[in-house]
Amino acid sequence: MTVTSSTTTPRPAESKIPAGPAPVRRSRPDLLPYLLIAPVMIFIACLALVPAVFTVVQSFFKVDALDPPTRFDGFGNFVRLAKDHAVVGSIGNTALYVVIGVTLSTLIGIGAAVVLQKPFRGRSLVIAVLILPWAMPGVVEGILWTGIFDPNAGLINSVLSSLHLSDGDAVLLGQNRLLTIALIELVQVWQIAPLSVLLILAVLQLIPGELYEAAQIDGCTPWSAFTRITLPLARPGIAVTMVQAVIATLNVFDQPYVLNGAANTGASVTMQTYFISFQDLDFGQGYALSLLITIVTLLISLVVVRLVYRRVEL
Amino acid sequence: MKRRTGAGRSIGVALILIWSLGPIYWAIKTSLQTEADARAKPAHYLPTNPTLQNYSALLSGNSDIAPQIRQSAVNIVIECGAATIVTVLLATLAGYAFARMRFRGRNVLFYAVLATMAFPAYTTLIPLYRIMSTFGLVNTYTGIVLVYVSGFVPLATWILHNYFASLPVGIEEAGLVDGARRLQVLWHLLLPLARPGIISTALITFLFAWGQFLFPLVLSSDLSTQPLTVVIAALQGRHVVPSTLLNAAGVLAIVVPAALALAFNRYIVNGLLAGSTK
Repeated sequence: MTVTSSTTTPRPAESKIPAGPAPVRRSRPDLLPYLLIAPVMIFIACLALVPAVFTVVQSFFKVDALDPPTRFDGFGNFVRLAKDHAVVGSIGNTALYVVIGVTLSTLIGIGAAVVLQKPFRGRSLVIAVLILPWAMPGVVEGILWTGIFDPNAGLINSVLSSLHLSDGDAVLLGQNRLLTIALIELVQVWQIAPLSVLLILAVLQLIPGELYEAAQIDGCTPWSAFTRITLPLARPGIAVTMVQAVIATLNVFDQPYVLNGAANTGASVTMQTYFISFQDLDFGQGYALSLLITIVTLLISLVVVRLVYRRVEL
Repeated sequence: MKRRTGAGRSIGVALILIWSLGPIYWAIKTSLQTEADARAKPAHYLPTNPTLQNYSALLSGNSDIAPQIRQSAVNIVIECGAATIVTVLLATLAGYAFARMRFRGRNVLFYAVLATMAFPAYTTLIPLYRIMSTFGLVNTYTGIVLVYVSGFVPLATWILHNYFASLPVGIEEAGLVDGARRLQVLWHLLLPLARPGIISTALITFLFAWGQFLFPLVLSSDLSTQPLTVVIAALQGRHVVPSTLLNAAGVLAIVVPAALALAFNRYIVNGLLAGSTK
């Protein structure tokens, strides 16, 4: 490529230029960077952008393996979804998953990050243990937690019965909708909270210790130091944390699938998308529901960033 | 004052450890019991009479379960390993180009990569299935690996871009001459320096791949490609499999990610933070 170009590249002078990440070749387009990024761009174009466009376009088509051919259908898929009780129910369930999950993971994130804010012996070990639930498959975590929620031998029932608080045979999942959703979401929070802790902890590490010393000299209680220094300065980290939690909880699938099966008491929108597409084989409605989740995810993420994020200057 | 914060921290650390390890402990305990012991009342909080019979039943038993567990364990290792290698390779080249080279359209293309991270992964579930089905790649390692790579490569590119961007500029200047040599500079000078970033990216990609469930559930229809996660969830769906056996299967599926997380937590934490701050 450039090897043959004897006239264009001023080589000796170039190596003495001190600034700039790479020399600019104005004489002719340099193909090397395009070659380096090409594989990634091809992957993204073919397996992310094209499918995303598919989802948007096909939402307005009747794509049903049991009712061919594919044909334009306007808002037909969306209308059918709105009339589907299972879908409407799953939207309500998902709203609960999001509210419970984002609240809990943010609170745990802030609390644990404050505990870990100052260095102490063994802190890195605590962090290593902390990220364990993040590193494990959500579907397997659902199975581990069935052992906690089990109506007979589960940990919760065992502890309740050992403390003589109940007979220890309470059915925790699948009966009461709110309890079912709260407990399933607890399992997802178990998985996503470690990342919340890390993100908030990273921001807390940037707060200079002198701020706390000055606050203490001025007679600040630890609580007011927390509300007036820690919380405001942690806002960028909290915003990122909440966006991550919004994306994860709006798309929750593994935990309700394993812990509650197809029961209406806990089915999420993503589960309905799966059932509609891969059991009923009505891809058009599946596309429409995916599109809705995507739009809602992006909107809520934007709102969270607007409300919570504040640029911090120290 | 000092003592109070110390006590508060100890309670906090204890809560973190109980929260993180409690469910794992309970699963390991259950997996080491017989079904009768696990269901005994009052409950045994320690594995009295521990036994490995559940694990031997899973790995070498006579039922149809053992071959399924063994094959799906092989599958998950192949799929995660291949997806990790391809993702890290592609992301290293692109991350290097985006961070250290100037070219027309760089910013637009880089934002295009980053924008795909804002979309929920399941947006593309159905179209990816239909694309793979069109090309006959459903129920093949290739199909699953392609989907994994497309899902993980934006984050990997972003993390590695940040690592390359943080390396001092002078390094390339010293050796930089022309096209062919620039790749040598990448290989001999920058890659060794970027090694922590590459290890982080590889670990995070591998763990993400190991945790996949819905994509392989859709993309693999039988045991020839189903990973451990799908097979274990199917076991649970059968309802006749004893809970002790199920817990043992769960423990088997978390051994690898847990070991990686404990051994390389520094790399993982650094990579996650490099990938999330914007």
